[in-house]
Amino acid sequence: MSKTLLYLLFTIYLMATSGYLLHIFWRRSFVAKASFVLIVAGVILQTALLGHRWWAAGYLPVTNLFATLFFFSWALALTYLYFELRYRIRATGLFVMLLNLVLLGGALPRDTTVSLLIPALDTPLFSLHIIFSFVGYAFFAMAFSIGVLYLCQAQLSTELLPDLPTLRKINEEAIFLGFGLFTLCMVAGSIWAHIAWGHWFSWNIKSVWSVLVWMFYAGMCHAKFIRRWQGGVYAWLSIAGFGVVLFTYLGIGLLLESNHPLE
Amino acid sequence: MGSGKWPKPFLLKLWALGCSLKLAIALASAATLLIMGGSLVMHYNPAIFSGMEQEIMGQWLPQAWSRAPLLVFWVPLSGLCILLFALNTLCCLIDWLTMLRVRWRKTGEYLVHAGFVLLTVAYLWGNLSGFRSGPHRLAPGDRMSIPNMPGYLLQLEEFTPQIEPGGRPLDMINKLVLWKNGRQVLQKTIRINHPLIYDGLVILPSSYGQDIQGFRFHMPGTGFVDLAPGSRLPISSDVTLVVHRFLADARQDRQGRVMEIGSRLNNPALQLSLLGPSGTIWQGWYFLRRQLPEGMVKAGIELRPVEPVLTTFSLLTINRDPGDKMALTGGFCITVGVIFAFFSFYRKRRISDRPEI
Ligand code: HEM
Repeated sequence: MSKTLLYLLFTIYLMATSGYLLHIFWRRSFVAKASFVLIVAGVILQTALLGHRWWAAGYLPVTNLFATLFFFSWALALTYLYFELRYRIRATGLFVMLLNLVLLGGALPRDTTVSLLIPALDTPLFSLHIIFSFVGYAFFAMAFSIGVLYLCQAQLSTELLPDLPTLRKINEEAIFLGFGLFTLCMVAGSIWAHIAWGHWFSWNIKSVWSVLVWMFYAGMCHAKFIRRWQGGVYAWLSIAGFGVVLFTYLGIGLLLESNHPLE
Repeated sequence: MGSGKWPKPFLLKLWALGCSLKLAIALASAATLLIMGGSLVMHYNPAIFSGMEQEIMGQWLPQAWSRAPLLVFWVPLSGLCILLFALNTLCCLIDWLTMLRVRWRKTGEYLVHAGFVLLTVAYLWGNLSGFRSGPHRLAPGDRMSIPNMPGYLLQLEEFTPQIEPGGRPLDMINKLVLWKNGRQVLQKTIRINHPLIYDGLVILPSSYGQDIQGFRFHMPGTGFVDLAPGSRLPISSDVTLVVHRFLADARQDRQGRVMEIGSRLNNPALQLSLLGPSGTIWQGWYFLRRQLPEGMVKAGIELRPVEPVLTTFSLLTINRDPGDKMALTGGFCITVGVIFAFFSFYRKRRISDRPEI
């Protein structure tokens, strides 16, 4: 992948994020609109880059940290677009797009070459496992952002952000959709593990933490029914949940050693 | 309280507890926290926990418990929480089934619940009565009986490792035949991600290696000959060279005794005998780095060592999980359930249908 295009993509997202930031202080609708248009352009460019890498490699290239950060960033941008088109969340997007910049920024200095696919990963089950996992993670990241904004809004009561019931609604939706997609990731991963290693679940640290992520968000699909937890506690849980996701995705690889094929 | 009266409210209370969503959250949280802490204990105590991946839980847990109960206690405890959680889920599921006529629109959610119950039972089943074994070493032509499954035999017919030009192994192609009580039940070529699956058995390639079986020689007038244990080489119409043993790395002590030092090629030796019409003419060791023994020279034999004869063997993993079909059914229920639930989520939201506790 050309580094120039990658930097162009980063610049587009950076300009969009700056636009949203500017919109907070200079409330002109065309600023927010321009930011949104930039994000759409960024998503189109990122989709084309991802598609090109997929086509060139002959398989979905998500086998190293650059590729997963890039894919995660793409999924997060798409998730943002989904919520923006549905709820017109505008300034709420600032936080999500900042997170996206962190992901893409983390990918920029890394080696972009597509490594040769090891035979164990050469199955559509692996692609499904990865696609669903990162799209699920993107929704959890969205829920995290919304959780933070919910807590801000509860303190500030600002017109810049959607009202609390809307934020709560978006948060619950992000958690539910994330859980559903992550569930599909777990099913594909278990079938793949069965054919690749002869067991559908094994007690290695990455698999154990993936189950923990799943259980946590399954719990959250129910926690919204508890009246006293709706809103504030739920927002905190969304933040904690994303901590579990980050530890599973990055922490295990960076802090602990894992024998998961992606580490 | 009359004896005929008390069971009803008690059972009702018990059922209400079984269906309690708060209990579900408490149990799931307890299991999550226990496993979170446990996973770190796992990571820092590989001596105790490394077997957890190689064995089924039913085998690993009793051993680990007897060695370090304080490090391992969280495993059965979290297992108990998950079991109770699954029971809790089952109660919710039954509760829903009893009102299916009015709640059928929530089929998606309850397929997810049913799938989770199936997965828990399948895990228990597989981890109490299955096994994980290997790596099993098989050379082409070898047969082995499957551990813990009397009557089952596995034969490796052919083995071809695929290696890329750089030397990196790409794949391991094993042509296998499975026999049950003397009858061939399955023949399958397995390779990475394409295991043999039969009756809960999963047989897959895990690695491979090479053994030095013997040595190739050049024999003027005859050409190349391979000598390995069991080979018989006719020298003339009434003299035959018989190979008894081959050692890749051998040493001879002062008393003339020959012993094996290792399996890597270093100082190869063959134990040979020359058979004539009236019995053994000569027998002894031929160290390939030395001259040909006198007895062989006298018999007119000329041998020049060329290269080792290698046989490639396959290493296979053989696992059995009798609950695998149930787990797959659970996975299927969850997948379909999630897809349905994507729709019913929005429907429920539209009509403000949600339990509040
Ligand atoms: C790992 C186990 C479980 C999973 C994965 C799971 C998953 C789900 C999901 C995805 C929903 C849909 C939530 C929504 O509409 O936003 C749901 C709803 C629900 N679950 Fe569970 N659940 C589990 C265990 C339980 C248990 C143990 C109980 C009961 C004690 C329970 C009771 C309910 C109830 C009452 C609903 C609401 C259904 C409705 O809309 O009326 N679940 N569950």
